[in-house]
Amino acid sequence: MSIKHIRLLIWKEFLQLRRDRLLLPLIFIGPIMQLIMFGYVVGSDVTNIPTAIVDQDMTMTSRALADSFVNTGYFTILERPATESDVQTLMDKNRVQVALLIPPGLEADLARGEQVPVEIIVDGADSKTASVASGYAAQVFADFNQKRIEATGLVPDAPGIDARVRVLFNPTLRSVNAMIPGLVATILLISMGVVMSQAIVRERERGTLEQMFVTPITRGEYLLGKIAPYILLAIIQVSVVMVVGIFWFRVPFHGTLLVIGLGLLLFLFTVIGQSMFISMISRTRQQAQQATMFILIPTMVLSGFIFPLESMPPEIVPVTYFIPLRYALVILRTSFMKGAGLEALWPQFAAMAVFSALILGLALSRFQKRLSD
Amino acid sequence: MESAIQLKALTKRFGSFTAVDAVDLDVRRGEIFGFLGPNGSGKTTTIRMLCGVIAPTSGQATVLGHDAIKDPEAVRRRIGYMSQKFSLFEDLTVDENLRFYAGVYDLTDEKFAARREYILRMADLVGREGELTANLSVGWKQRLALGCATIHEPELIFLDEPTSGVDPTARRHFWELLYELADSGVTLFVTTHYMDEAAHCSRLAFIYNGRLAACGTPGEIRALMTETVLEVDVDDAEAALLALERVSEIREAYMSGAVLHVNVGASSPASVVELLAAAGVTVRGIEVVDPTIEDVFVHLVTQQRAAGETLAATAPEAVAVPNPPVSGSPDA
Ligand SMILES: Nc1ncnc2c1ncn2[C@@H]1O[C@H](COP(=O)(O)OP(=O)(O)OP(=O)(O)O)[C@@H](O)[C@H]1O
Ligand SMILES: [Mg+2]
Repeated sequence: MSIKHIRLLIWKEFLQLRRDRLLLPLIFIGPIMQLIMFGYVVGSDVTNIPTAIVDQDMTMTSRALADSFVNTGYFTILERPATESDVQTLMDKNRVQVALLIPPGLEADLARGEQVPVEIIVDGADSKTASVASGYAAQVFADFNQKRIEATGLVPDAPGIDARVRVLFNPTLRSVNAMIPGLVATILLISMGVVMSQAIVRERERGTLEQMFVTPITRGEYLLGKIAPYILLAIIQVSVVMVVGIFWFRVPFHGTLLVIGLGLLLFLFTVIGQSMFISMISRTRQQAQQATMFILIPTMVLSGFIFPLESMPPEIVPVTYFIPLRYALVILRTSFMKGAGLEALWPQFAAMAVFSALILGLALSRFQKRLSD
Repeated sequence: MESAIQLKALTKRFGSFTAVDAVDLDVRRGEIFGFLGPNGSGKTTTIRMLCGVIAPTSGQATVLGHDAIKDPEAVRRRIGYMSQKFSLFEDLTVDENLRFYAGVYDLTDEKFAARREYILRMADLVGREGELTANLSVGWKQRLALGCATIHEPELIFLDEPTSGVDPTARRHFWELLYELADSGVTLFVTTHYMDEAAHCSRLAFIYNGRLAACGTPGEIRALMTETVLEVDVDDAEAALLALERVSEIREAYMSGAVLHVNVGASSPASVVELLAAAGVTVRGIEVVDPTIEDVFVHLVTQQRAAGETLAATAPEAVAVPNPPVSGSPDA
C-alpha cells in the first residue's frame, strides 16, 4: 500500500471529475434541485400511527375515550405507560409517535360538568405524520364529545373534553424540518451511488481499469484512490446541505455532530458497497445507470423519505427493514430534532453496521472475482 | 538464452466455451513475436492471462522467469501492456497521462523528465502536451499509448492489436517504433490480424478457435504450403469468387488486397482461366506466386473448418474465405 500511489490516483480522479460534463453538475446542482423538489412533496394518508396511552383515570369513560381512538383505524395502541415522563423516552426511541394523556379524575370531572383537558402529544420529527395525527385526534375528541352530549342529553355548549395538542420536537410542524435531515442522507445516496459507479464503469469500459492491474498499482490502492475523492465530495455536499438547512431553512439542530457523523459514515459504507457492486455487474455506463435507478426508486419510496412508513400497507413494511436509508433517516431526523444519542438509536446503528459489513463484503468479494474472470 | 515467455497447455474456458485451448508457446528474448489470428480466436484472452489480468483455467505460463499465474506481481514493473483499447485516460491531457503512468511506476523526477521528452518526440506530440487525449487522432493516441506502456522501460511489451483502425502510413511509422524498441533488446509480443504485419515479425504463431495452428519464422510458415497459389487480377472479383466457389477441386479463393488469391489445389492454373472466362470474367493478369503468410493461414483455417464440418456431417465444399483472412468469431 503506497501513499504516493493513492495520492496519484486521487489527483487523477479529481482531474477527470473536473472535466466531466455529467458528473460535476450532478454533484453540485443535484442537491439544490432536491432541496427545492422535496420541499413541495404532497402529503399522503397516514394510518396505524404508533400510539401510547397514559391512562391515569382508569374508568369506563377513559377506556371509552381510548377505544374511540383505536376505532378510527388511524392509531395503533402499542404502549400503555404509567406516567407522562415515559412518553418522552418512547418517542426518543421512535416506538410511538402520538401519546394520549388522560388525567386522573376524568370521569368524575366530566360527570360534574367540568371541562377536562386531555392532552395529545405528537412527535413532530416526522412532520407529515404529526400534522395528520393531530388532525385525526381533534376529530376523535369532537366525536367523543358529541356522543357524550347525545347520551347524557346535556346542552351542546356544556363543557367536555378540551383537546390540547402539544407537539414535541418540531413545534411548528414544518415539513422542511424533517426533510432537510433526510435529504442529507438521500443526497449522499444519490451522489455516491450514481457518481462512483459511473466512474468505475467508465474505467472498465475504456480498459483503463484492466490497465491498472497490469501495473504495480494494487487493488487496495486502486479502491482507496477511487473511494477517497468521493468521500471528500460527500463531506462537502453533506456540509452544504446541513448549513443551508440550518441557516437558510432554519431547521433546528439539537443533535451532535458525532452521532450524525457516525450515522452518515455507516450509511456511506453501504452506499459505497452498493455502488461498487453495481459497477462490477454492469458492462456499460447505461447499465450502471439503470441498475442504480432500479435500486434508487424503491429506496426513496420505501425508506420513509417521501412517504411515512406508517402509511404503508402492512405487507410492504417488512421490506423496508432491508433498506439502509430507512435507518439513516431515523438516525438523522431523531438526532437533528430531538438530540437523541447512541443510547436511543443503537438499534439503527446496529442495523446499519450489519448492512454496511454485508454490502461492502459482498462488493469486495465481487471485485476480486470480477477481475480474475 | 532464457525464454521471455513460456506457455504449457495454457487453457481458458468461459463457462463451457474454450477461448484458449492448450496453447504451447516459447518466445525468446529480443524477439518480435507475432501472434496472429482472426477475430475471436483467443489472442486477447491469451495476453490477458500472460499479464495476470485473468487467471487461466489450466496450464502454465512463465513470464520473464516468473510464474505469471501464481505470482503476477513479480513482473509488473518489467512488463508493459498496450491493450486493444489503448487504455489512455481520454479526459486527461497528453502530459497528465504521462505524469500518471510515471507515478504508477514510481519514476523519479529526473527519470520522468527524460522519458517524457523522449516519448513526446517519439509520438510526435511535442507542443501538444496540453491537449486532451480524446482530441488526438488515432495514430497519435496509439503512439502515446505505446509511450505510456513503455514509460518504465520494460523488458517485455505486450501489444494487443496496436495498429487496428490506423491508416497505413501511421502503421508503418508505428512499426518503425517497434523495430527501434526491438533493437534496444526489448521483447515484443504483438497480436494482429493484419497479415502483412506478419512479415515484420521474427517469429509467428497462428491461433484459430483457441488452438495454435502453426508456429515458426515467416519462412517456415510459408514452407508449410505445398500447393500452387495464383494471383489473379480480374474486373469483377465477386463474380469470379462465385464461379471459383462452385468448383470443388479449388481449395481456396479470396481477396487479398485488390487481387484474388487462388489455391488451385487439385485443379490447374489453366482450368482456372477457362473457368473464369466461362463465367464472363475478364482476367487482366494471372501468375503463380510464392505463397504469402496470408495464403498459409487461409489454408490452415479452411482445412480446420473442413475438418470440423466433416465431423458435423454437413460437408459442403471448401469455400472462398473472405478477406480480411477470416471473418466472424467462432461462437457468434
Ligand atoms: N470474459 C469473457 N467471457 C466470455 N467469453 C469471452 C470473454 N472474453 C472473451 N470471450 C470470448 O472468447 C473468444 C476469444 O476472445 P478474444 O478477445 O481473446 O479474441 P481475439 O483473438 O482477441 O479477437 P479480436 O481480434 O476480435 O480482438 C471470443 O469468442 C470471445 O467472445
Ligand atoms: Mg483481441
